[in-house]
Amino acid sequence: MNPPRHADRLLQLFCAPHRLEEIQGDLHEEFRYQVRRVGVQKAKWRYWWDIVGFLKPRAGWPFAIKRRKHSTTNQMNATMISNYFKIARRNLIRNKAFSGLNIAGLALGMACSLLIMLSVQDERSVDGFHANGSRLYQVYERSSYDGKVEASYTTQGLLADELKRVIPEIEFASSYEGNHLYHSTFEVGEKINKVEGTYAGADFFRMFSYPLVQGTPETALNTPIGIAISRKIAEQFFGSPEKAVGKAIRYENREDLIVTAVFENVPANSSQQFDFLRSWQAYVKENQWVTNWSNTSPHTLVQLRPAADPAKVEAKIKDFIYRYKPKDQGSLVELALQPYPEKYLHSTFKNGQIDGGRIEYVRLFSFVAVFILLIACINFMNLATARSTKRAKEVGVRKVVGAARTALMGQFLGEALLLTSVSIILAVGLVALLLPVFNTLTEKHLVLPVEQPVFWASLLGLVALTGFVAGSYPALFLSSLNPIRVLKGSLKFSGGATFFRKSLVVFQFSLSIILIVGMIVMYRQMQFIQTKNLGYDRENLVYIPIEGDLIQKYNLFKEESGRIPGVRSVSRMRNSPTVNDHGVSDISWSGKDPNVAVSFSDELVGFDFVKTMNLKLKEGRDFSKEFGADSVSYSGFLLNETALKKIGYQNPIGKPLWWGGRQGTIIGIVQDFHFNSMHEAIQPLVIRLDETKPYGTILVRTEAGKTREALAGLEKTAKELNPNFPFTYQFSDQEYAKLYKSEQIVSQLANAFAVLAIFISCLGLFGLAAFTAEQRTKEIGVRKALGASVASVVALLSQDFLKLVVIAILIASPLSWYAMNRWLDGFAYKIDIGWWVFALAGFLAISIALLTVSFQSIKAALVNPVKSLRSE
Amino acid sequence: MKRGYLGEFEEIVLLTVAVMEGGAYGVAVTHEIAEQTGRSVRLNQVHAALERLEDKGMLKSEMGEPTAERGGRRKRLFTTTAYGRRTLQEIQEVRESFWAKLLNPFRPATSL
Repeated sequence: MNPPRHADRLLQLFCAPHRLEEIQGDLHEEFRYQVRRVGVQKAKWRYWWDIVGFLKPRAGWPFAIKRRKHSTTNQMNATMISNYFKIARRNLIRNKAFSGLNIAGLALGMACSLLIMLSVQDERSVDGFHANGSRLYQVYERSSYDGKVEASYTTQGLLADELKRVIPEIEFASSYEGNHLYHSTFEVGEKINKVEGTYAGADFFRMFSYPLVQGTPETALNTPIGIAISRKIAEQFFGSPEKAVGKAIRYENREDLIVTAVFENVPANSSQQFDFLRSWQAYVKENQWVTNWSNTSPHTLVQLRPAADPAKVEAKIKDFIYRYKPKDQGSLVELALQPYPEKYLHSTFKNGQIDGGRIEYVRLFSFVAVFILLIACINFMNLATARSTKRAKEVGVRKVVGAARTALMGQFLGEALLLTSVSIILAVGLVALLLPVFNTLTEKHLVLPVEQPVFWASLLGLVALTGFVAGSYPALFLSSLNPIRVLKGSLKFSGGATFFRKSLVVFQFSLSIILIVGMIVMYRQMQFIQTKNLGYDRENLVYIPIEGDLIQKYNLFKEESGRIPGVRSVSRMRNSPTVNDHGVSDISWSGKDPNVAVSFSDELVGFDFVKTMNLKLKEGRDFSKEFGADSVSYSGFLLNETALKKIGYQNPIGKPLWWGGRQGTIIGIVQDFHFNSMHEAIQPLVIRLDETKPYGTILVRTEAGKTREALAGLEKTAKELNPNFPFTYQFSDQEYAKLYKSEQIVSQLANAFAVLAIFISCLGLFGLAAFTAEQRTKEIGVRKALGASVASVVALLSQDFLKLVVIAILIASPLSWYAMNRWLDGFAYKIDIGWWVFALAGFLAISIALLTVSFQSIKAALVNPVKSLRSE
Repeated sequence: MKRGYLGEFEEIVLLTVAVMEGGAYGVAVTHEIAEQTGRSVRLNQVHAALERLEDKGMLKSEMGEPTAERGGRRKRLFTTTAYGRRTLQEIQEVRESFWAKLLNPFRPATSL
């Protein structure tokens, strides 16, 4: 009858090693005595009770019996340390291939992580430089229509001023036209140039930390004819900021503005980018619609007083809009606040709440960085443990002459740290080389912040972390070897160690396969978006902005350019086919339920719109000069299919429709086309004719292959009609591609990282294969001597690794399926992930692994058996 | 040098080791004390006391023979040192001198 084993194990864990024997002996003797006295069951209980007694902490030392200090000599003296370094160096030099693989893998992994860390850091720093940042808030508007809750940053044009006037907690407030930048033409003397900028309120420079070189924050934007320009523009037009201030500058060949302030060029890590700012008074003067509180477009930014509680302010302004307009039935509009520095990363809404945004990519890439680093660390572990036979003898000898386990662990961890340090030097070099490429790809301005101590500290942290993770397993494993067995020469890996190594390979390949699947799915989705039939023809379509004299002479331009060879037709629209941020809620029709508010997107276009865009007409006709009645505004409307479904007319042509109370008739139904990005479903759309707006885009449909001639003719015509403006144009397909810029970048980065991950994994596999081949040299020799073919030996050696990769495929497929479905959820129009994606990823992984392994196995299989068997 | 301080339990353990004359090890000492005093004594207390006494130099120890009932493990056998024995004697003398000064020795009925 034996005492409980678990209790014994507990004791072994805690008891001082030099006293274990006698204490355990006493306990066992006592147990036998108690068995005779009180029976087995009670004796067992007593045994536990006795053991617990030995675990009781005691003052001065943790457990009942004091641990003896090591009697060995101190192993951290200078001689030992120099010995450690010497051995480390010799090992590195002796196994050049292994060391190379190790260092290359680690360096690549760390370079990757560094690059991602830098860009994540950069993303997080955006808008972080404003001194009042913690008190700056962006107002957003939550509206419920039609049973849906939506939110957006577009607000009323007079909201900022009213908020500041009415709510005492709001210290400053500024409107900001942030939906798009104006490409305005400026003129000083002979110099004409296009500059990007926008409009902002009088408090703008008091709220945001854009330092002024000339002028004061109070007066920079407080007159309608004032304009603030950047240092760059000041130098371009006037030579220096000092010369610029107080001077006149011609704006859009329309009016003369006075430079009231010059600000430092806006830093790259600001989400607001502009080279000029005009005052809000000018905006209100030019856009009379802002006085109507049903219309929204600009952004509203506020700065709270230091003591103000944002939650209370938010509650206070919730119903603010209804001070200025009556409540609509069936709809509700509320105001809410978002801390301004958070806006850049968190700017998408779902059901009226802030939900993600760029932060998702930041998180995604942080994960990728960790993954890749982990893969590199696993390589290191695998190679180190695989090589441990070579070092086992050293460990044995060291132990025999009295090395403590901790000292050995220290040695191996130290070696890992040494290798990591070498790798990080390479990694930093690699990053320095790759940064320009990375910057052009991501359109960032990253630099290695070599002058910041934080950077060096984080490098050190990265080295410590990587070295520790990579070195921990070899250190634990090697230091645990039993010296007697090692020195007798009978070192065999336990099933556990082999299993651990195999699971590491599986883990590595699972991560790689997930990245490969991600790469394929993103690529396919991008292809899908780029080639999807949009409902209009985006090839051979040119945009020209309506500005200057073209505003008056649009009809002339249309007429003249219609005669240019290569031009098929010309029309115009208020926005452009890729962006439509206008909406209208007061559309009504006969039979409409008065309690339901339906919001429509709206578009103002010119004659021949359907023809120029190449839209498909389901019924009815295009706006045409042949129908004189069309030129009366609000007389005829085009609807898309989605809008028709909302309205529900049976034979829509000729039926009445009211837009803001004005009646017109439906003249045509166009097939649904994508006028926004693929992230959103197609909205109901109402189109009416309006050729009088002083802005917008001219659409020119050119004949395929004759675009160059057409453009030359268009430029000539534009120069004649609009001499004070440089001729600019855009191609529709390029503008469309810009919509998916960030997805494109992410997709390209995912490609790069997937390739890297699989490459690093293969480095490890390569090392492992070399090791196995070496271990089995004799076996292969014998097999060959007995008549095995090269092919069968190669198959034998490759089999083991292939099994691991297959397991990795099984693990990775469901995970990556889940992850990619999450990503695709962000698109309203998306591809299905077919099974073949996983098959392809698996096939790729298997063939790459096979390629890597077969190099080693073929080499091993070709060796003459005489050579491999000769040594004994 | 002043005599080392001994707790009451340590004194009993030291005495027991002296009484057992070479046959003293953890379990044996525990059983002996339990038998002689009627107290319930735990093994770990005895081990701790033995270790403290050894640290103080009143006991010395060596490993004995392994036995089957101990699962082939050896015992640690304790013997008293000269210093330990002198300490016991001194304690005894101090007590006796006090008892001698007691004017009305307790009657047997009240003493226990």
